[in-house]
Amino acid sequence: MDWLATTREAFALLFSGDAELWQIIYISLRVSVLAMLIAAPPAIALGYFLATASFPGRRAIIIVTQGLLASPTVVIGLILYLLLSRQGIFGSLKLLFTQEAMIIGQVLIALPVLVAFTISAVQGADARVRETAISLGASRAGVAWTTLLEVRFGVMAAVFNAFGRIVSEIGCSLMVGGNIAGVTRNIPTAIALETSKGEFAQGIALGFVLLLVALAVNFALAFAQGEGGTR
Amino acid sequence: MSAPLLSVEGIRKSYGARSILDIDRLELLAGESYVLTGENGSGKTTLLRVLSGLEGAEIASCRFEGKAVDLGSYPAWLREKVIYVHQHPYLFRGSIADNIAYGLKARGMRDVEREALVRQAIAWAGVEALLDVPAQRLSGGEKQRVALARARVLHPRLFLLDEPTANLDAESRQQTMRLVRDLCDADSAVVLACHDREIIELPHMHRLHMEKGCIGVMPRASACA
Repeated sequence: MDWLATTREAFALLFSGDAELWQIIYISLRVSVLAMLIAAPPAIALGYFLATASFPGRRAIIIVTQGLLASPTVVIGLILYLLLSRQGIFGSLKLLFTQEAMIIGQVLIALPVLVAFTISAVQGADARVRETAISLGASRAGVAWTTLLEVRFGVMAAVFNAFGRIVSEIGCSLMVGGNIAGVTRNIPTAIALETSKGEFAQGIALGFVLLLVALAVNFALAFAQGEGGTR
Repeated sequence: MSAPLLSVEGIRKSYGARSILDIDRLELLAGESYVLTGENGSGKTTLLRVLSGLEGAEIASCRFEGKAVDLGSYPAWLREKVIYVHQHPYLFRGSIADNIAYGLKARGMRDVEREALVRQAIAWAGVEALLDVPAQRLSGGEKQRVALARARVLHPRLFLLDEPTANLDAESRQQTMRLVRDLCDADSAVVLACHDREIIELPHMHRLHMEKGCIGVMPRASACA
């Protein structure tokens, strides 16, 4: 295999505006961004609640959440597949092999990452943050908002980590999405398919985009943290 | 004599076998300043935190402005009247003005009214020259002055200040002392935990000496259990 020629072909595909390739990129980003928009607000709120509330079973929930960080995405895909398949509990919704199914899967994958990182960010906050907000008369929601703002770089790290995990995951997307061209084919499933067919150019081009997305996300976080550090 | 601003009976708190607070009775009058003295670990900070609702304790009965109140649940009306300032105050990210406006915003005050009060508070604390400095970059003394302004702008009836002059250089200490002296008016009371002799010996300052969680016999303060 001529690596140089294949890579050149990959970049030609990218910059020639190859419709199929850009559709795959669009589907990938659309699914992952929507999944993040759905998952982040409740997960950050839950993370804050678990970090600050005190009730029986709280510790067990935190341990389970942290354990779920390592859950294989293919297992989440399998469970979701069983739930969404025609005989499954949610079979009547006819969601299997749709972008919606992929979004649900990615929400489930993102949730423990967001919750666990938010817990860690809030628990790491200076105790005086909440006490000062309480003493100055902030409402419960106001205290939560102030605390999350004060630890916003930790919360942003949660969001970027979760996004990095779902945009690059393949197991769940493949199982509940079905890798249907133009519908549910995203970057990771396309790379796997193209590579298995011996079509390396598209695989490399998509891999390059995925890498670029991951780097952009990390640069954004580093930039934000750098700015925060100088304040 | 008018009714006390705050009157608490039977304050008890312990960690395991170790008693942290054991106070039979504590009364604070409006228009008066009190200084809590005592060794480290004698319970000064814990008492201030219990009175501000940041820490729990067993309390037999408590009245504020003559009304019975449960410090454990700390109702919103009481929160508006009592304010606690940490020994090392925390300033939120943002400007000095943002910090001073925080409590006023929480009370839903209109922008125009709020901005006027914030301007006055900035002038009171003498931090006009620092307006462009991010709050978290201020020195210890500057943070303390902003925190006092942030508390005073809310016009609470009871200020609970934890060692406001500790670890400050001479100039910052003088500036902070000037503000602390200025806090108490006829309508409010100030309680300071303090080791600072100059504050302890201020005229009109009532001294409440704490030892092993108890308050010693002092004018207008309670006897220990």
